[in-house]
Amino acid sequence: MSELRCDPVLGRWNIINTEAPAGPDAFEQDRGVMGGGACPFCYGNESMTPPEIYAVRPPGSAPNGQGWQLRVIPNKFPALKIEGDLDRKGLGVFDLCNGVGAHEVIVETPDHKRQMADLTLEELSHVIRAYKARSLDLRGDRRLKYTLIFKNVGLSAGASLEHGHSQLIALPIVPKRVQEELQGAQEYLEFRERCVYCDMLSQELHEDERLVSENRSFVAFCPFTSGFPFEMWILPKEHRADFAQISPEAIGDLARILKDTLGRLRAALADPAYNFVIHTSPIEVREREEYHWHVELIPKLTRVAGFEWGTGFYINPSSPEFAAKLLRDLALPH
Amino acid sequence: MPELRKDPLIGRWVIIATERAKRPVDFLSAHDEPLPESECPFCEGHERLTPKEILAVRPAGAAPDGPGWKVRVVPSIKPVLRIEGELNRRAKGMYDIMDGIGAHEVVVEGPQHVRNAADLSADQLHASLQAVMARMNDLERDPRLRYVLWFKNYGEVAGAGRVQHSRSQLIATPVTPLRVKEELTGARRYFEEKERCLACDLLAQELEVKQRVVLETRHFVALCPFASRFPFEVWIVPKRHRCDFGKIQPEEAGDLATTFKEVLSRLKSVLDDPPYNMLLHTAPFRRQQGRVGHWKTIDDDYHWHIELIPRLTRVAGFEWGTGFYINPTPPEEATRYLRDAIVERESARQDAETPHV
Repeated sequence: MSELRCDPVLGRWNIINTEAPAGPDAFEQDRGVMGGGACPFCYGNESMTPPEIYAVRPPGSAPNGQGWQLRVIPNKFPALKIEGDLDRKGLGVFDLCNGVGAHEVIVETPDHKRQMADLTLEELSHVIRAYKARSLDLRGDRRLKYTLIFKNVGLSAGASLEHGHSQLIALPIVPKRVQEELQGAQEYLEFRERCVYCDMLSQELHEDERLVSENRSFVAFCPFTSGFPFEMWILPKEHRADFAQISPEAIGDLARILKDTLGRLRAALADPAYNFVIHTSPIEVREREEYHWHVELIPKLTRVAGFEWGTGFYINPSSPEFAAKLLRDLALPH
Repeated sequence: MPELRKDPLIGRWVIIATERAKRPVDFLSAHDEPLPESECPFCEGHERLTPKEILAVRPAGAAPDGPGWKVRVVPSIKPVLRIEGELNRRAKGMYDIMDGIGAHEVVVEGPQHVRNAADLSADQLHASLQAVMARMNDLERDPRLRYVLWFKNYGEVAGAGRVQHSRSQLIATPVTPLRVKEELTGARRYFEEKERCLACDLLAQELEVKQRVVLETRHFVALCPFASRFPFEVWIVPKRHRCDFGKIQPEEAGDLATTFKEVLSRLKSVLDDPPYNMLLHTAPFRRQQGRVGHWKTIDDDYHWHIELIPRLTRVAGFEWGTGFYINPTPPEEATRYLRDAIVERESARQDAETPHV
């Protein structure tokens, strides 16, 4: 069982692997390229993963065999485990609790070679529907407070396997970064009685300097305060706090804008490493009026160094206006 | 002129270099070949490759910007903030902007082409520390500036770039950064409740439990923090409570140099010369007492310290999304490795010869 530990100054929690702690030797492989060997996410290797939780398969096909289009499986090396109690406790000035939670992997396609930008709109819609279904299912577990869906592509973005996959982690606490966002949005709402993201959207659409692409339900733009070069956000036009409530029409539109923006990133930056994160409201009974769910896409082009760690200030060597223009003007092969 | 832009949600400022917008190709070609020693701007004899020095430790009467120095502080060749001009605070719709005013200086830690500060003598590190303190105290006199961060990036993964020569950096900002504010607020909240300093309590607990203490000297404790974000993260915490690093006593500075060298040497030996970041956490400039965001108890509630982060894991989507870090090595385990580390004999001997002041 791993432990969650809280930094007494910032209230930031960390997951500590007390069960199988890694020694100095564990990190050497991180300096090389991605490991070879049999891919656990390819057809025929289903037995290399824990049994599937969810799958898109032809009717009548047996679980954990071939023939699937998409699979959701528990992470073989989970950061958090689903069994057990939280058991919150104090230790002198420190607080800690057990590492209870869910850690799942969404294998987006059986095809080892195709990345998210290569998927068809139908396949992408399956992926988004899987995100939604898993999020809603985990809501039944009263111990869980927040579900994060994210994707690491490329070694420098933290991926350890090449085969296209996303991850879901459900946490027993609302993380600090999310609390800060909620609090910022709440303060803005109290002061102006408007949603900060809706305001951002209307200013971006009006100024038209940082827009990358737009469809019926979504707008993709490079945020005014981008901390990273070529950072992009995808915001739903409709004010909604909770990603998991996404409508069937919006799923198709999200698939379309994801394919478009990922295609642009790939063309502009020669297939960069990137992180993709869905920011959504915590698992709660009430709909958070102040929040507006969105996707953040961060290509990994710069290195986070001492200054960023020390201050939380990011140095962006590019400008979002420049990045948006370049991304917008690309002619994509469709 | 670079711009500072404020995230309207969490209040975090970002520096945007509007002038020299980087193109995609700039990142693609960024696989840095290390600069050969013959072209190193920080080696003795190459002083003309840097802007004019701001401060140097030299024999009395020696001319500036020539050889013969022990430590040299120069403006950064590629500054992220500039010292000339006014802040020009303004709004753009819902967003806040100001000009990128500040200071960005490089502290060259020795005349020889040594890469890792672990391989410098404690005496050399002591001289660098004194230069850093002198620069911080000088920058505090500029009324436009509110905070100065002293930090160090070692190795390409940690952001050191092509120049390999051992140095640290100072960046002074016109706003108190969010990360610093959060820490100050956390410390103040604890003090309000208990009328004790959190770091002092923490130090007492760690010294009693001894599970996470890497080493202890007369004035300092090096420990792996309980909630370490990263494997083998080490903090150097002064035993004497003080909020402001710039005001430490000479005997503390000497002891800090020795402690610093010892911790760096152990990290080098245990993790095979890992890339790392070093950061000083100290109080913001306090000449404007009574301003919004400043408080009178900061002397009592905040405790300066140094954080050392070996760069062994990669920050990925989960960390960006949550601010949660996944640390595969418990600090107790890391402490055991670091405590048992056998540091090369040569550097140990150098230490013994170095006077402690």
